[in-house]
Amino acid sequence: MSLGLAPSPASLPDTIAAARAGRHRRTRRRLVVTSSVGALVLMLFVLTLAIGSTTIAPWRVAGSLLGITDDPLADFVVRELRLPIAVTALAVGMALGLAGPLFQRMLANPLASPDFVGVSSGASLFAATAIVIVHASGLAVSGAALVGAGLSALLIYLLAWRDGITGFRFVLIGIGVSELMLSLVGYILARSSIFDARAAMRWLIGSVGQAGATERHALLAMLVVTLPLVLLLERALRTLELGDDLASGLGIRVEAVRLLLVVLGVVLVGFATAAAGPIAFVALMAGPIAARLIGPATGGILTAGLIGAAIVLAANLVAEHLMPTPLPTGVVTGLVGAPYLVWLLVTTNRGGTGG
Amino acid sequence: MSRHDLRAEALSLGYGERTVVDALDVAIPDGLITAVVGANASGKSTLLRGLARLLRPESGQVLLDGAPLERWRNVEVAKVIGLLPQTPVAPDGITVADLVGRGRYPHQGWFRRWTSTDDEAVAAALHATGSADLADRAVGSLSGGQRQRVWVAMVLAQETELLLLDEPTTYLDLSHQVELLDLLADLNETRDTTIVIVLHDLNLAFRYAHHLVAMKAGRIVAEGAPADLVDAALVADVFGLESTVVTCPVSGAPMVVPIAGQRRRRGQDLIATPRRQ
Repeated sequence: MSLGLAPSPASLPDTIAAARAGRHRRTRRRLVVTSSVGALVLMLFVLTLAIGSTTIAPWRVAGSLLGITDDPLADFVVRELRLPIAVTALAVGMALGLAGPLFQRMLANPLASPDFVGVSSGASLFAATAIVIVHASGLAVSGAALVGAGLSALLIYLLAWRDGITGFRFVLIGIGVSELMLSLVGYILARSSIFDARAAMRWLIGSVGQAGATERHALLAMLVVTLPLVLLLERALRTLELGDDLASGLGIRVEAVRLLLVVLGVVLVGFATAAAGPIAFVALMAGPIAARLIGPATGGILTAGLIGAAIVLAANLVAEHLMPTPLPTGVVTGLVGAPYLVWLLVTTNRGGTGG
Repeated sequence: MSRHDLRAEALSLGYGERTVVDALDVAIPDGLITAVVGANASGKSTLLRGLARLLRPESGQVLLDGAPLERWRNVEVAKVIGLLPQTPVAPDGITVADLVGRGRYPHQGWFRRWTSTDDEAVAAALHATGSADLADRAVGSLSGGQRQRVWVAMVLAQETELLLLDEPTTYLDLSHQVELLDLLADLNETRDTTIVIVLHDLNLAFRYAHHLVAMKAGRIVAEGAPADLVDAALVADVFGLESTVVTCPVSGAPMVVPIAGQRRRRGQDLIATPRRQ
């Protein structure tokens, strides 16, 4: 290593040209990947509408969706029977895929996805309580789940607060709160009748088929509001992940931005969980997969959202059509997600940067 | 462009109950390198954090161009004052070019996208720090010295007139410490950047600083050009260290030579007999 200021061999104009070329290369890669994943989501969406006991050809699906064909059978099957499930799967996946990297990057920890740090388990506790004790169903369960997600996030935030929030504290306290909630869920299930327990278990595994029209509409409305906000805040998030001090030095109001990001993440997960139950591992996986595809640490929250949508759509297709009996979506995401989690734990600690 | 003015007036800073910086006045001299030195827990890093608005004053104020920092918009401060904290975090797998590019944040608006001005600032920062050939490398794969240069490049891309650095040499070996300080001296000279740096190593501080701020127990004990300021009495007062101050044979700056406790106890006169024959 040379002493003193090592002059770069390249001239300044060369460096500028290289910086520009590198940026164009990264942008192109992000565009190609994001539009490919978008195309995949569209394909899975049409497939969801096409496959079933009556299979409808994709062009008939498209014609029915766009309202340009007079095809009563296709209209009924596609629009009435399958569209609600396809839309729910898309929206739930999108919401979870956006929320995961929001938390993971803000807290600088790949384990810090909201379904891991207790937001989803708060929703589970309240939903299970509503089902078992109040014998609630439908909208009331969804409402309870939404409140549960919010309250457990608030609890974690307050417990983790000590002159600000550090990622590590947040994750550890989140995991603790999560375990507490899940053990309470266990208690409630153990005390319940077998019929209630079965209903609660079904909800707890999570399935896009269980969403009612109201939950679906609420989820869609929430996405319309939050998606632009998330995309706008991604720029601040890119700064926040450099550490609080540096982010502050770059002109970010750290605590305000972080609180806003937490609220956004909780709202995304809360509404998704209220609609379809806690579909496991989607929020955990979406961000890292996006990073793998578009290059590490390049952001791409929208890409992650689309990947979340693709995961849930694909999982729903597998759960409904490739299994001997139709299963809840959460079973399939769990089967894929659990090995991924093990891999993540093994590799992050090897890198020495994980939590 | 008019130059900016950063000063603290009766500034007290602390964490919770504990006051660390106590009613302190300081004006950062424009266009110079100011080194802040002091023993551990003397409040030097805290002072820097206060100047960078990372800490809200308990009392008193930090003034930028005569207006209290709290009245400035965050992004406007970030266009004037760049900060390199002690422990910045490089996201997993991030490339050097991407990291340095994030220094452009205050110059971009909510909807203003990346422009060629940003490219030029990033390239100039990479160039100035001698890290242009690292642009596509992952930050995690760099050596400690390279990494610290990249962080400096990131703050340079911010294109601020003032640069605050909190112990940037801490984890570097001596050659890389010198390399980094040479880089800062160079920036000060070529870009006229005003630099405030918290340093542990006294001799490096004396050598590179135009202006020295010596702190003890949250107050400034002495302030001025190192050559006018530094003597054995000051070192004893600020660090509680018995030493002799000689002139650096290379730079002519004052140089502290500690008198080792063990040899002192043996009653050996180190000045008279510098080495045993």
